[in-house]
Amino acid sequence: MLRILKIPELFWVVLAIPAIAMMIGFVQDPVTAFDLIHPSGEFSVRLMIVAMMVSPLRAILGRRGWLDWLLSRRRALGVAACGYGVLHLAFYLYDMGDWGMIAEEALIFSIWTGYLALIIFIAMALTSNNAAQRALRANWKRLQRLVYPAALLIALHWFYVDGEWKGMAVHFVPLLVLETARIILMFKQRSARRATQAMTR
Amino acid sequence: MKFSQAMMALAAATAMQFAASPAALATGKMKCDSGPQSTWKSRTDLESKLTKDGWKVKKSKVDGGCYEVYGVTPEGQNVEAYFHPVTMEKLLVSQRGKVIFKK
Repeated sequence: MLRILKIPELFWVVLAIPAIAMMIGFVQDPVTAFDLIHPSGEFSVRLMIVAMMVSPLRAILGRRGWLDWLLSRRRALGVAACGYGVLHLAFYLYDMGDWGMIAEEALIFSIWTGYLALIIFIAMALTSNNAAQRALRANWKRLQRLVYPAALLIALHWFYVDGEWKGMAVHFVPLLVLETARIILMFKQRSARRATQAMTR
Repeated sequence: MKFSQAMMALAAATAMQFAASPAALATGKMKCDSGPQSTWKSRTDLESKLTKDGWKVKKSKVDGGCYEVYGVTPEGQNVEAYFHPVTMEKLLVSQRGKVIFKK
């Protein structure tokens, strides 16, 4: 039974299920585009956060089987996060239905933060393959690290569009706690290393 | 490993705290001191009044004792607007979080 979990293609299928459901809903009744804006964005955020949690969890917990499992699927999670982000934009554009108003709204803080984050997502997704990873060398890692500013932009986008912080906080606070723990741990290890170096000198 | 365990517990507790309080999540950005619902005008009346005024109503609901309407203004702006359920007075209009009208 557990062997099913090891099929990589199955993971992609699972990640696509909510998107398929959303698209069926949209095709059956395009008016639902308005109602699909929020859930598609939320799925994008959730997948991004799960992908982002792998590194701090490994730093804190060390190597674990389930973390390795997740790590080997991080690329799929990231690409899917981008996919849901694009879907989120598509529903938004359809719901707006007026290029003039779309342009007007793009200047509002809550909206351009979303666009900027999506541009980062697209750049990351397009380079999420082995060939791009080899071609970009050290720059590949730099590019993928843009997920941190993207996460910040998305938190702002969510907070300002919604006008309240709770929905956003539910998703981002756990990530923030993990990242904080990782940084503190990093400093602790560094000072411990320095202490042992001083002793052996 | 004590520190990291505490951090994990904190992350889990925070997530659960928010997940367990759907009522707290429902609070909006506007509160109306509107008395008992029996004295309110109907939401359909508000919707038809807005439609007559040139609005396009996508969705409406009760939020914080006010009527909250998602729709398009006669000027074409996609907004979230709050109305008093008794007086039907327009209280707040927000375009993607940018307040464009406030009483």
